[in-house]
Amino acid sequence: MKAGFSVTLIESPNIKIIGVGEGTWPTLRSSLEKMGISETEFFRHCDAAFKQGAKFARWTTGAENDGYYHPLMFPQGFTQLNLAPHWLKDGQGRTFSDAVCPQEQLCENGLAPKTIATPEYKAVANYAYHLDAAKFAPFLQQHCTAKLGVRHVLADVKSVNQAENGDINSLATVQAGDIPGDLFIDCTGFASLLLGKTLGVPFKDCTDVLFCDTALAVQLPYETPDAPMASHTISTAQQAGWIWDIGLPTRRGIGYVYSSRHSSEEAAHETLLSYAGEQHKDRAIRKIPIRAGHRETFWKNNCLAIGLAAGFLEPLESSAIVLVELSAKLVAEQMPANREVMDIVAARFNDVNHYRWGRIIDFLKLHYVLTQRTEPFWRDNLEPQSIPDRLKNLLQLWKYQSPWFFDEFDRLEEVFPAASYQYVLYGMGFRTEIGPMDNADTAPMAARFLKENAAITKQMRAQLPKNRDLIRKIFEHGLQPI
Amino acid sequence: MAGSPTVTNIVLLNSQTHRSLCVHVEPSARYGDNQRFVQVVVAEIPHLVMQYPVLLSKAADTGAFFCGAMLGVDEGENLFLREGGHEGYRPLNLQRMPFYVSGAELGIDLDHPRIAQERGQALFTEQGEATPYLESIKSAFRDLKPGIEMTKAFIDTLMKLKLVEPIDIKLGFDDGSKRELAGLYTINQSVLRELPDASVLELFRRGYLQLIYLMIASLKQVPVLARKKNDRLLQASEALAGSR
Repeated sequence: MKAGFSVTLIESPNIKIIGVGEGTWPTLRSSLEKMGISETEFFRHCDAAFKQGAKFARWTTGAENDGYYHPLMFPQGFTQLNLAPHWLKDGQGRTFSDAVCPQEQLCENGLAPKTIATPEYKAVANYAYHLDAAKFAPFLQQHCTAKLGVRHVLADVKSVNQAENGDINSLATVQAGDIPGDLFIDCTGFASLLLGKTLGVPFKDCTDVLFCDTALAVQLPYETPDAPMASHTISTAQQAGWIWDIGLPTRRGIGYVYSSRHSSEEAAHETLLSYAGEQHKDRAIRKIPIRAGHRETFWKNNCLAIGLAAGFLEPLESSAIVLVELSAKLVAEQMPANREVMDIVAARFNDVNHYRWGRIIDFLKLHYVLTQRTEPFWRDNLEPQSIPDRLKNLLQLWKYQSPWFFDEFDRLEEVFPAASYQYVLYGMGFRTEIGPMDNADTAPMAARFLKENAAITKQMRAQLPKNRDLIRKIFEHGLQPI
Repeated sequence: MAGSPTVTNIVLLNSQTHRSLCVHVEPSARYGDNQRFVQVVVAEIPHLVMQYPVLLSKAADTGAFFCGAMLGVDEGENLFLREGGHEGYRPLNLQRMPFYVSGAELGIDLDHPRIAQERGQALFTEQGEATPYLESIKSAFRDLKPGIEMTKAFIDTLMKLKLVEPIDIKLGFDDGSKRELAGLYTINQSVLRELPDASVLELFRRGYLQLIYLMIASLKQVPVLARKKNDRLLQASEALAGSR
């Protein structure tokens, strides 16, 4: 990373943070570690808990027992062999994720992904976090100002001063006067004050692909403080969308993400309450608008957008915080040395962000296109014109070959690897045709990997503590740094 | 603590109730000396390093580091046990069994295999006075109890200065078998060499520098221990060949 620059954070004292987005990716572990944050402190201050992936309930048929996992570990031996064709040929009565990866069983049994003796940020089973965003933001702010030398200015921006070529020279603030800078990062949320309003970069709407446009969120206490806590996100399909269910140590957060074209707000309230239970009917429900889409360009002149200012998608695969991390990492690692080379870095940034947003939209849509549900919301999701071409082609291809390393998911920092597509496809009952002799040459290797997975699963189940017990131990004893 | 009996029945020691109680005192696997890794205190380190690797490990239930001596390679193995005895220095934590300390009081585990109905060493005289054996146990706890706190302070200092690193011990034996010992930690010597002067001085003044170098020197006991294990394995396979 380039040394010798300073960072100033200008934050309005009058605009509240959105505070949604309680699911993250395993990338957050390396991001926090790189920032020099103790994982123990993070757990204690952010009401954080473990997340080992997501369970999608009732997405395929809508039946009571309909569900599959998208775990965070790769299928066993993934870089050497694609197990999917072998599972397709003979699944031995097991779900795909259970046959190839230990995490379905870990989640079903409420187990944590590590032990109290596992060092900070190290895993026995790959994990991300659930966290309280309203606590995470001030925690990061405190760390960045106290330890990393970020200057924090509480001020409202009243206008933006631009040069003739459009570059931003400075921000005029109400409380702190003019604040000049060489590079401006727009983190103004949905307002997109710099990139959108000032530099006029238009918003690319994606609601033709992803229909959900509203979320109703509510927080529920546990029945008892030591009630079991899931170590995965539970996403349950509903009549016009889906409900997230995220377990933090002190409470559960649930929210109904739905399409207002397919459900009235009143009906959505009822759906949420019927999931939460009638006893919660008087709890405060927050309504959050979702406008699926992103800026057409992410970096223009000397300004780039990160976070909601860049765009937003429904939180089905927790893509918001990971996009922030990846963008911040790129800027930090490739901080332009001067204005002359900035446009080159900007072009790269735009290219990689277009790719990432495109792949995330494809992958979110994938969850909707294999359903057998019959409500209008779900039928409309199958309309061919609502499916991006790239995804349409891949679905066509995957009828005959299973996704693996042939499928252009070849970026160094790929958002969703081929493994993720496998978990969703085969979790939802998609069939790839397997010829009688297709697997012959790799069958012994596949048998070995499947056996290895069964052995590892058994070993992990014996070794790993209950999710809630480990969280309590982290509060009491802390994790060791090594 | 590693290797402690999981089922215990610990009661406070009482010269009335336990007047006639006896304890088997000789070192023996069947009395619980069969421990591969025994928690130790800093005061023991100079004695221990003559025989054992002295390393750090983590307590399974808290993840906290503790200091220990490595007595064997496999679970439940103490390579220093001999018929009716123990080679060289026997760690306090083995010496004190089956006693525990609770505040200022001494406790005893009545379900411990060392508890004897007859034979063995008496704890009290007929007058209810502590026997020399019980006095020796009390003396062991006089070292052990404050020693645990002192050892924790030592380990905290090591952690603060980032002087602890994992060590992978991989052993291969003449019978073709291999062992990989995980979960063990030692002194990070490259960090030690780069320590600022003030830290070195502080370590020296607190007596820690000597302990650190003793722990580093004790790594030379790993191959000695491995040879002992190798001899054991060869004896076992010869015995097996002889019996055919």
